[in-house]
Amino acid sequence: MSNSPPIEAEGLVRTFGEVRAVDGVDLVVNAGEIYGFLGPNGAGKSTTVRMLTTLLKPTSGRARVAGHDVVAEAAAVRRAIGVALQDAAIDPILTGRELLSLQAVLHGINRKQGKARSEQLLERVGLTAAADRRVGTYSGGMRRRLDLALSLIHEPSVLFLDEPTTGLDPTSRQSLWEEVRRLNADGTTVLLTTQYLEEADQLAHRIGIIDGGKLVQEGVPATLKAAVGDPTLRVDVDAGHAEAARAVLAAHGEERPARAGRVAIGLRGGAESLPAVVRALDEAGIRIQHMELDAPSLDDVFAEATGRRLEGADAAAPDSESDSGPAAATDVDAHRGRP
Amino acid sequence: MTAVTPAVHDARLGLRATAGQAAALARRSIVRIMRQPQVIVPNLFFPTFFLVINNASVGKAAGLPGFPGDRYLPFALAGTVLQAVMLSSTSAGSEVALDIESGFFERMLASPVSRLAILLGQLAGVAVFGALLALFFAAVIAPFDAVMKAGIGGYVVLVISAVFLAVTFGGFALALGIRTGSVEATQGAFPLYFVAIFISSAFFPVALMTPWYRHLAGNNPVTFMIDGIRDLTLEPFSWAAAANAIGVSFGAALVAVLVAFAALNARLAQR
Repeated sequence: MSNSPPIEAEGLVRTFGEVRAVDGVDLVVNAGEIYGFLGPNGAGKSTTVRMLTTLLKPTSGRARVAGHDVVAEAAAVRRAIGVALQDAAIDPILTGRELLSLQAVLHGINRKQGKARSEQLLERVGLTAAADRRVGTYSGGMRRRLDLALSLIHEPSVLFLDEPTTGLDPTSRQSLWEEVRRLNADGTTVLLTTQYLEEADQLAHRIGIIDGGKLVQEGVPATLKAAVGDPTLRVDVDAGHAEAARAVLAAHGEERPARAGRVAIGLRGGAESLPAVVRALDEAGIRIQHMELDAPSLDDVFAEATGRRLEGADAAAPDSESDSGPAAATDVDAHRGRP
Repeated sequence: MTAVTPAVHDARLGLRATAGQAAALARRSIVRIMRQPQVIVPNLFFPTFFLVINNASVGKAAGLPGFPGDRYLPFALAGTVLQAVMLSSTSAGSEVALDIESGFFERMLASPVSRLAILLGQLAGVAVFGALLALFFAAVIAPFDAVMKAGIGGYVVLVISAVFLAVTFGGFALALGIRTGSVEATQGAFPLYFVAIFISSAFFPVALMTPWYRHLAGNNPVTFMIDGIRDLTLEPFSWAAAANAIGVSFGAALVAVLVAFAALNARLAQR
């Protein structure tokens, strides 16, 4: 591979009839980076990944992956990348070990090396005990881990993960995040798409927010959040003291929308200003029932960039999902940001 | 947790690699068939059922002037094998459609697998099953003193022809599965196969059919496939008959593979 970035795209466009699913995406993912592609369903994340993985031809624009053009040198790209697509596509009739073996052959790995590599990966993703069971009996989390192992059989330098934790319970999700971090620590460049804010926040060194097929914001999560503005301070006070609290808090920041009985402001100076706020409320004789300070979230970043909240993305949402079987739930509808 | 080892892949994908990939995919195809009794049982039951029914209903026709041979069961062997192979091979179409629907097909396309290996692997599975079906039905009628007059050579040709017939019907089914990407659409074509086999010499000699039906059956390619094998069932072995049986089924198989390959290329071009 040359010194060029592992993933680079320029003016990438893909249309389906009249619909511009991806509309001029420029993208550079640097070596050793985890890049999070964040956006709601239908934003163009998967279409972009499918173009970068040679499964779909761009209508216009160019992309190079692992130093190879995705159209002119598609075969070279396929040899260099690992891909785990949305909805782990795994043959339920075969066993985990058989599938790894098959995947090794498809990548031109000889039998002996393929077997050794399969054993190594089964151990790595914690599926050694279930290796000889048919995949149809695996839980959603196990299928995802096997999917990841399959994508790693040839030790790719670039890994694409399309919504890797959709439908997983929190434990399985954490386990997969840890594995992605380990892979990245071993030097693998990762591009992952997600609609989960926390996933992007936890895993990605840089994120790109895609909406309506366009990359509308890009950067390091902390920097993006900091750019949104002051953290939000929410204060619940005794009934009848809301107006007085509002007057006191107005001196510390601009008021923000809040539900009844609660006052919220954008706290100037952030957490360092908190003691002064508490003292001011105390001196005014206002009893605080509850107080919370929320740093700007990626949802705030998303809202800033698109004017909308990100649907279907919430750190807590997966709690409501199950991982009891292959057909685990896949969608949630909650917001991290709240009034 | 073990550390990631240095790269172990050999990315050169020549003919040898393609053969290895096709063999691995063929193994998958065979394993999938063998682990699904619901796929195997109908392919054994229905042809046996039709063989028994036809033998009971029109078996006496074997005594009519112009009937090839003097007994019905040897006459029906070629048609029964073709029917079984045809029924089983159509699974290649629904299997590939299932792979497309489930995303497994895309997983393969995202790997450096040869496109030819994808087709050959799927077809090799039905070909092996076709060979087993031919042996099964030959064994089923053998106890009734219904053996191939061409002897061992006849059975060898029967199995080889069954393999090519499986590739033929599997290839056309594969093309349909690849083009539509729909299990339902692929299975929806199933009645056409029945029509093709019933308007042929599978279960009754063309010479004894009514004129208009004889015209249809006589020009049905399925009749040519069956008659090639039947010559070896009812007559002593001859190289000409063997070459004819294998040649017809091989030619049909070649056409089917080309059609399937064209369907795959068309699908890939649409991406």
